[in-house]
Amino acid sequence: MTAVTNDVPAVPATVTDARKAGSGLMIACIVVLCVWVLLPIYLLLVNALSSPAEVTSFPKRIIPSFDFGSLSFFLNFQGVGKALWNSVAVALLTMVLSIGIGAPAGYALSRFDFPGKEAFRFLVLMTRAFPLPLLALPLAVLFIRTGLDDTAFGLAIVHTTLSLPFAVLITFSLFSGIPVELEEAAWTLGCNRWQAFRKVVLPLALPGIAASAVFAFTISWNEVFAAAVLTIENRTLTAFLLQSINVSPLYLKFAGGAALVVPALIFIFAVRRYLFAMWGIANR
Amino acid sequence: MRKLLKLVAGAAFVTALCSGAAAAQALFWSTQAKPVEEAQKMRDIVLKGFPGGVDYQPSDDGPWLTRLQAEIQAGKGTIAVLGALHGSFSSMSGDLVDLSDIKLGDVHVNDQYRQLAKLGTSEQKYLPWMQATYIMAANKKALEFLPQGADINALTYDQLIEWAKNIADKTGSPKFGFPAGPEGLKHRFFQGFLLPSYTKSMVTKFRSPEAEAGWGKFKELWQYTNPASTTYAFMQQPLLSEEVWVAFDHVARLADAFNQKPADFVAFPVPAGPAGRGFMPVIAGIGIPKTAPDTQKSKELVAWMMKPETQIATLRATNFFPVVDVKLPDDMPNSVKVSGPAIAAQTGAKDAVPALLPTGLGNLGGKFNQIYNDTFERIILGGQDIRPALDEQAKALKALIDQAKAPCWQPDPVSQGACPVD
Repeated sequence: MTAVTNDVPAVPATVTDARKAGSGLMIACIVVLCVWVLLPIYLLLVNALSSPAEVTSFPKRIIPSFDFGSLSFFLNFQGVGKALWNSVAVALLTMVLSIGIGAPAGYALSRFDFPGKEAFRFLVLMTRAFPLPLLALPLAVLFIRTGLDDTAFGLAIVHTTLSLPFAVLITFSLFSGIPVELEEAAWTLGCNRWQAFRKVVLPLALPGIAASAVFAFTISWNEVFAAAVLTIENRTLTAFLLQSINVSPLYLKFAGGAALVVPALIFIFAVRRYLFAMWGIANR
Repeated sequence: MRKLLKLVAGAAFVTALCSGAAAAQALFWSTQAKPVEEAQKMRDIVLKGFPGGVDYQPSDDGPWLTRLQAEIQAGKGTIAVLGALHGSFSSMSGDLVDLSDIKLGDVHVNDQYRQLAKLGTSEQKYLPWMQATYIMAANKKALEFLPQGADINALTYDQLIEWAKNIADKTGSPKFGFPAGPEGLKHRFFQGFLLPSYTKSMVTKFRSPEAEAGWGKFKELWQYTNPASTTYAFMQQPLLSEEVWVAFDHVARLADAFNQKPADFVAFPVPAGPAGRGFMPVIAGIGIPKTAPDTQKSKELVAWMMKPETQIATLRATNFFPVVDVKLPDDMPNSVKVSGPAIAAQTGAKDAVPALLPTGLGNLGGKFNQIYNDTFERIILGGQDIRPALDEQAKALKALIDQAKAPCWQPDPVSQGACPVD
């Protein structure tokens, strides 16, 4: 290391240039990424808030005319409120179930050695290998016979199966990232196994667990086929609307799209703190 | 965070408890009237007066069939009444309640359709519910470009091509429109219009020289077709925005154009080819699965759907026409007034070749449509030679028909066993 005198610039000019260029590139990337994510949502909302005539016309307006005709059609559409509530209920149940089952499995995978561990990791992924339309028929028969048919809980079990691989694998890498020495230190200081987990590991893992919970929520929220077959009276919003929307006029497609997207956005916005915190862990 | 988790778990638990309670409305499980506005009208207008209430649930063919099969296998069901196209019923003959004893009063149902709904048995497997077809629509601005001597009510494919060419040449851009988007019903055009008009067949003469000629003509027409056609699902939109001046589509998918600007559009029959004026009548039916929770109630609902006033309400809601003898009131929507005469001219045409929707294919119906769409994509969009493309697609078609063991349906002549593909 050489000492730097006061009359010489601390950093040679080429380096500042490169740094400027670097930050310019960074800003450009950020802008592109933001546009990538925000533009479709923006277009969706603009069209949802426009009158039917404006949706089919061109060029588009930048600021919507705030015509609530299409949206209020959906709000008044018989059963939308109930379907929305069912969707939320199933998604929340899926979230609780997949974390309740997935997190312990992820912890076991990262902390313990047991025979068949590799096979288990592989098998967990296998549940995604079967297309749902294939599984839906035997599932529906079973559900009708056992009385699980047409309940939020029954559908949540199916959605949990779909989201479980992700819950297990995300929490597995999460727990693996927390040094086992921390736990051991807690044991030496008088914690038993459960206390060490609850007081040391859990606070560190919580943001990541929340993230995988959000993932489970969106998987359940977006699923159509099983929901359409396994629920009748208690339809979820996707089962209720999605099949109708894709054959509806354009302005209703936009309004319906907004009705499907906005609740999910609000949910993710509400839990964003935990999502960002997880990325904090990943950077460490 | 723990508070949030507790809250979430609590909410989910309460929901799991609450979701057990169910209403006792009759469930109408349908593949028809799916668009949200139509479903809304079915609930608010058509079914509103039925005592006890009806839960009208439209769904895609896949979930519709899966759910039904599940209920039949489980031997216990919630579906009270099924609404679907003729082809969907034909594969489930054994699982439907006989409707011969249903009391319809003095309502007279179309005899031909009623016979069809017996599915070749002595029992009334379902009752015809409503009917529709596909027609042509044109902006009145296009009429001046009609070829000399052409009668719009008796066009041929050659005249249609010339007309589309005239419009493209005079206005500078192609203005024929065709629903070739992913949700468009283009396969029905090939199955029920193009091929029957050239071959008087949908399946058997799939790769005949006549079929080759038909595809050649369509290729010609495609030159004067708006290239955005590959995104269209409902032709009413591009007609209204004047992207397209002449279009082919299902009557229900043209209705908005006629309703919004009745003075701007005309409806007319589909063109004819050398073998006749091929067209596809669409017949939807209502049936009762053997697992229905209350067969008596279901029969009452079926009888309700057949009443003339319900049939008229259904026409208003869905743009599907009645199947019973009924005098239409004067205040029908413009779409009915505009398309009605065109449909009558088409079905009553001397050279008419009615081609029924595919039957007996069961859950292979989607693959059957895919073969026609693939042929379209290869020949028209991919620009492949017609002969080899037809030969290869014919192999796929033969394999599929053999797998389904489906006998021929109109306009192909009756077959022993699976319908042959020559």
